[in-house]
Amino acid sequence: MQPFALNYARPAATLEATTPYVYDSGLQLNVLMDGRVAARDHALMRELGTTTSTAGSKTHFDD
Amino acid sequence: MTVLILTCEEDVTADMVVVHLNATGVPVVRLDPADLTDGVALSGEYVHGSFRGHLSAGGRLVGISGLRSIWVRRPGTPAARAAAPSEWLTEESAQALYGMLRGSDARWMNHPDAARRARHKPWQLRLAQRCGLPVPATIVTTFPQAAREFAERYPDLVVKPVSGAHPQDPPRAVPTSRVAPDADFSAVAFGPTLLQRRVAKRADIRLTVVGETLLAARKPTGADDEVDVRFAPPTSSWRPTDVPPRVAAAVRDYLRAAELAYGAFDFAEDGDGTWWFLECNQSGQFGFVEVETGQPIARSIAEWLARPGQDPRSRANGANTTVS
Repeated sequence: MQPFALNYARPAATLEATTPYVYDSGLQLNVLMDGRVAARDHALMRELGTTTSTAGSKTHFDD
Repeated sequence: MTVLILTCEEDVTADMVVVHLNATGVPVVRLDPADLTDGVALSGEYVHGSFRGHLSAGGRLVGISGLRSIWVRRPGTPAARAAAPSEWLTEESAQALYGMLRGSDARWMNHPDAARRARHKPWQLRLAQRCGLPVPATIVTTFPQAAREFAERYPDLVVKPVSGAHPQDPPRAVPTSRVAPDADFSAVAFGPTLLQRRVAKRADIRLTVVGETLLAARKPTGADDEVDVRFAPPTSSWRPTDVPPRVAAAVRDYLRAAELAYGAFDFAEDGDGTWWFLECNQSGQFGFVEVETGQPIARSIAEWLARPGQDPRSRANGANTTVS
């Protein structure tokens, strides 16, 4: 009774590491532990994959 | 005039836009509807023929009449983190928040009505056809026999979710996948199935459109057999590319018809250089493109959001999404 498309399902990837930044409600930005704005560190963003098209798929289906 | 951003706290992609807005001195209020009523508050009065509404979040207070634009990025489910969450409270909170915002004169990226409609992939395919974009032969069906006959006509197929959603119980991913020619299609009867002729692609194209600004990136296809670029190993990088004029015109037509201010289009480029329309994500991610290509997507979004609010007299029938 499994729909056809689910024959091609695979286990969902899980994030192995926690993100090294926290939200600062005063700045309305996520900041790194040293106080820098996380979004300015593109190398880090790429490394973490938090801006990729599968990152938000759990709750948002139009990534 | 303030830019309102509806998104979750961990949305670091939204941060990329906030940074640009801060740099230009544009006031921003960022909130997650999930924090209603613990951290986010609202109030609106409809008295003597007029409306006055306010939102509060993180110690900031903004009048709804003072909003120039509303960016619906990655908002949580309203009141999901309330002290006593419930479906009823979520619906109450959603109606209160979005109901008030719908009455504002702010410009939307994207308007909830347009966004909801634009998520339907079958609707996307039809609109793309009408706009003159090449669409691979596709069938959405629950008839196994129709699937078999389609496979006879187009033996090289892929399957993908109709909604693009991934099942959560248990969590699984359903990437676009090749279908073997001798596949058993009997399970098509158990759920709507989207089958599409596989485009023998030489590159993936992500075309991000912000208002009238088109920013295209191209990623050459790897040698592996992975169809879905989101799940393919990173053997190549995204690089900026030019948009063919006919595609540019068609894409603008698409967004205008869809009443969207933002769209992230996915195309497959075949050996002849033709861009085949796959989908348009009305809230598609853009950070991964910007960090690889350096394209000013976040800045373009910030500039669109920062433009002055529109004249309320220009709205008609509530369709107040402006794409130009």
